[in-house]
Amino acid sequence: MFKRLPNFAVTNQFGLFLLVIFFVLFFSFFTDGFSSRFNLFALSRVVAIDIMIGLAMMVVILTGGLNLSLGALGVSAAMFGGWLMETVGIPIIPAMLLTLAMGGFLGWINGYVTVKTGVHSFIVTLATMSIYFGMMTLFTEAEAFRKLPETFTDFGSLKIFNKYVSPLLLVSIFFVFLLFYFFKFTDLGRKLIAAGANPDAAELSGISVGQMFIYCHILSGLLAAVAALMLTSRIGAAIPSMAGNLGFDWLLPAFLAPVLGGTLLSGGKVTVFGTMLGAILVTLITNGLYLIEIGEFWIRFFLGIILLLAVLLDKAREFFAQKSNVLS
Amino acid sequence: MNFFPQEYFKKDWFGLLIVVLMSGVIISFFKPAFLSSFNLYVLMLSVSLWLVVAMSQMIIIAIGQMNLSVGAIGGLVAISFTGLMEVHGFSIPYAILTGLLIGLFCGFINGFLTVKTGISAFIITLATLYIFKGMNLGITEAQPFYQIPESIKNFGNAKIIGPVPYLIIIPIIITVMMWLLMNKTQSGRNMLAYGNSVQSSELMGISPTKVVITAHVISGFLAAIGGMLVVCRLQLGTPNIGDSWLLPSFAAPVIGGAVLAGGKVDVIATTLGVIIVAIISQALVIFKIDPFFVQILLGFMILIAVFINRYREYKEERRKKIFIYEASHE
Repeated sequence: MFKRLPNFAVTNQFGLFLLVIFFVLFFSFFTDGFSSRFNLFALSRVVAIDIMIGLAMMVVILTGGLNLSLGALGVSAAMFGGWLMETVGIPIIPAMLLTLAMGGFLGWINGYVTVKTGVHSFIVTLATMSIYFGMMTLFTEAEAFRKLPETFTDFGSLKIFNKYVSPLLLVSIFFVFLLFYFFKFTDLGRKLIAAGANPDAAELSGISVGQMFIYCHILSGLLAAVAALMLTSRIGAAIPSMAGNLGFDWLLPAFLAPVLGGTLLSGGKVTVFGTMLGAILVTLITNGLYLIEIGEFWIRFFLGIILLLAVLLDKAREFFAQKSNVLS
Repeated sequence: MNFFPQEYFKKDWFGLLIVVLMSGVIISFFKPAFLSSFNLYVLMLSVSLWLVVAMSQMIIIAIGQMNLSVGAIGGLVAISFTGLMEVHGFSIPYAILTGLLIGLFCGFINGFLTVKTGISAFIITLATLYIFKGMNLGITEAQPFYQIPESIKNFGNAKIIGPVPYLIIIPIIITVMMWLLMNKTQSGRNMLAYGNSVQSSELMGISPTKVVITAHVISGFLAAIGGMLVVCRLQLGTPNIGDSWLLPSFAAPVIGGAVLAGGKVDVIATTLGVIIVAIISQALVIFKIDPFFVQILLGFMILIAVFINRYREYKEERRKKIFIYEASHE
């Protein structure tokens, strides 16, 4: 018992958890309205989507790669969903399923090209980012879908738990547990981790690494589509610019959450709960900075600094963990 | 006597040169307006800017890294350059000098953090992208600077002869310097060696700190020049300068056959890559095609270039294998 404690204390999740509590206390004391019902509800709506974005990036980082096209992919899928619901008039559930299929398909393209060319996924997804976003703009003529079914948009503005929380957060938490189960207890999930951790060894033990990497990209596409659908439901319309130009606005939360959560960029390690805590921390800090009235324009600056500090802390933690291993 | 040496076929830039000439001929056949003085002027202006941006990224690709913050540095320098003149009354040379220093400093931060922490350049430059962009927005509050001295406006508009803009002089000098750096100097060779294999370059006694910081400082310097060139061309300093640089900065070197893992870049081929991208973007305008097609096409061109490079690598490996096989059986 005594020996286990320090190990637990140096885990990333524990540190993150403390940080989250610290910031919650800090902002509740020093800002007006942080713990108000309205703010917590708004926070839960944003956190829900950031968690999904973080998870979508996490599953690609698992392969040692990354997915720059995340935002473009998500928005393209959501616009497709909006078109199905509004113009074609398909019922909500099948339309959502088709949207997810679209996300998976776009993810598959990323994975297929990456694996077949052997080029780093950075350059492949840089190219597909521009292709997806361009195609989407071309097809939609940059017009939004604003007459979505009310059941779908109402879900995003619904308030539960004494009006403190958005049901969107429950959806995200559901996916967190689903992914946790998937990576921990299913055969396929473990194979994905094995392929990411040591591709050569995995290949030798009979796992088709290329296939696994393609699965990771498909999963990333699916999760990005879920995130985009949730965003659509929250805004109440499918808007081409909802993730910024080329979907670039998603990129920082996408990397911040897994990196803060302790996902190794070299691949082979996933931390589902860490990513969730990372996303919570980022949203918390962003929200707090707004409430402190630091000026909207400086928020990006601080988020950049936080990312930098996060990776530096991670490096330091690794260093001390190694040192204490050597000593014991 | 070999009038047309086989050697040329194997160069990276040879195929690209053919593509440039062919596309020029085909486009001007269908639309003679392509060769009009005004059109050539616009073409050269866009080549001027993208050349600098591509070189800024190319040098980082040479050492096997990537720099996401090229556009953010360009934007920060552009608004500092114009802001210093408009708000603080700096004279033009001092403003240029300060702009260049900011670029150098930003590059230094990128290089220093990357090499000292060992964290991937992708994450470091993603963070600094937001830091630099955040500073840009924090300073300007998203408002452009309009008061640009006349001499800078004139420099941006003037033509040397016919359709050739004055602005193109700086990128040409930069390109020549970059060619000399990568092909004729020890530090250029060190960068390529480092990009090729970090471990063996260290065994050869090359200092990683020196190589990485030098490359990032040059990248920041070039991004700064790029930012100021845009100011000359637009005749104002807007905070969104540099926002759209990411894709083109990678497109030209990749089309020019640069290996993203590092160790192989070609200045001439990158230059031709820039020209190809510029010609195609321009052609789409002339043919009145939706501008979003440019984006899609650029994406496809990167993918195609990646496939071609991959195929050539494969052929090269096979050729080497056969050569070794034959040599060992003599």
